[in-house]
Amino acid sequence: MKVHQVLSGAGRYDAVTMQALAFRGLFSAWGWGGRDVAANIDPRVAAEIAPISSLTPAADDLLLIHYSGYAPRLRSVLELPNRKLLISHNITPARWFWDHDPMAAVSCALGRKQLPEFAAAVDVAAGVSLFNARELGSEIVIPILFDPAQAGAPGPPDPPGPPTILFVGRIAPHKRQDAVIRAFELYRRAHAPDARLVLVGRSVNDTFEVAIRGLADELSPGAVTIEYGLTAEQLAARYRGAHAFLCMSEHEGFCIPLLEAFHFGVPVIARSVGGLPEVAGDAALLLGEDDDERVAAELLALVVGDSELRAELRERGARRVEAYAPEPTVRRLRAALEELNQPIGASQSTG
Amino acid sequence: MKPEDALLAARAAAAERGDELPAGLCIEPTERVSIAQFVEWAAIEPDPASMRSTRRLGAPITFFKRQLLHVLRQYLRELEAQQTRFNLNVVARLAELEERVDSLEQRAGEREQR
Repeated sequence: MKVHQVLSGAGRYDAVTMQALAFRGLFSAWGWGGRDVAANIDPRVAAEIAPISSLTPAADDLLLIHYSGYAPRLRSVLELPNRKLLISHNITPARWFWDHDPMAAVSCALGRKQLPEFAAAVDVAAGVSLFNARELGSEIVIPILFDPAQAGAPGPPDPPGPPTILFVGRIAPHKRQDAVIRAFELYRRAHAPDARLVLVGRSVNDTFEVAIRGLADELSPGAVTIEYGLTAEQLAARYRGAHAFLCMSEHEGFCIPLLEAFHFGVPVIARSVGGLPEVAGDAALLLGEDDDERVAAELLALVVGDSELRAELRERGARRVEAYAPEPTVRRLRAALEELNQPIGASQSTG
Repeated sequence: MKPEDALLAARAAAAERGDELPAGLCIEPTERVSIAQFVEWAAIEPDPASMRSTRRLGAPITFFKRQLLHVLRQYLRELEAQQTRFNLNVVARLAELEERVDSLEQRAGEREQR
């Protein structure tokens, strides 16, 4: 059996690309062939991901489309006669990008418009969360593959050093690093003058990074660090050294850093948006719609200072990581692809 | 404290403290792009500084790319000018249509009131 994976875009630090490469590892272990192609390719992954124009599947090969953004050449894939599974990784609404990255906004707007059309044209549509799947009118969920064994050991219950707040995610308008910085500054002023904030993520563009760095320097000079391009070990060290993970993002389809924080035993405070409550379950402190940075700052004070609360969140977080163990996800993925590979009548009869 | 009690406790503490939100950059979504914003975007001005290599040790490639921009500047300026002319004309036409729709809606509303 051959499964070709088609990505909207491929990048070195892109979660969707990492997911596709992890799937490729599984396919190889199962003895399945195929290649991975993308419409837009970062040169740093060019050795692993080929251009979409090079895709020439045989009639009985399967296509697994990871949809995460608009790409003009993707439409040609729909016209291929092969059976197709589409996994939606969600697309951020364009309204977050118009002011800060117009090209990204155009891509998001077109992508969100194109997605339902794609979902209708494939044999099976799924989402990495139920939130994503339901946007396509589907109930099929194939979550992000998160392997705690590869992430490294969890951190200590009370990391040494000054209170350290962490957020991991692309520096992008909808991720609201500005709100993270403001909440952190309120917390620092009122509760912990020596606190530190670590933001890990590459910015959507240089201008936006300058704006976020400017806000950090203006509000909390010397207390905020912005990093990107970390190795897996360095990222693990950031999690292990953190006392709390603060996510003020306004749109999330899944949010892998949430699972990473749970795995490393870091208490999580987050806005209740998109697929985030589904992934967090009861293991995170979720802000309500009207709760602003002032409430987030007080939650930071609670999770950093209350050891009983920290211990409970740590325990619940570990249970959420178990709920997203890789084995069931791998089984779901394999079952979906094997069912897709059945002759049409047979796949219907197996329900 | 139990996690279920934390949010209420935090809300109460925040209300009691009564802090002002710190000033500075506050990102908000753009629900509808205004004509003024369209006009600003229509006159394209690509930043040559954004032309760079993303490869490791890409400095020589960045240098080469920027030299190429410099050499092609006459052609690129012509390209920008043509694209901007088209963009501005489309935006101007859009603004006219918007005004016309507003005026027609207003007249229709007045007629209904009579």
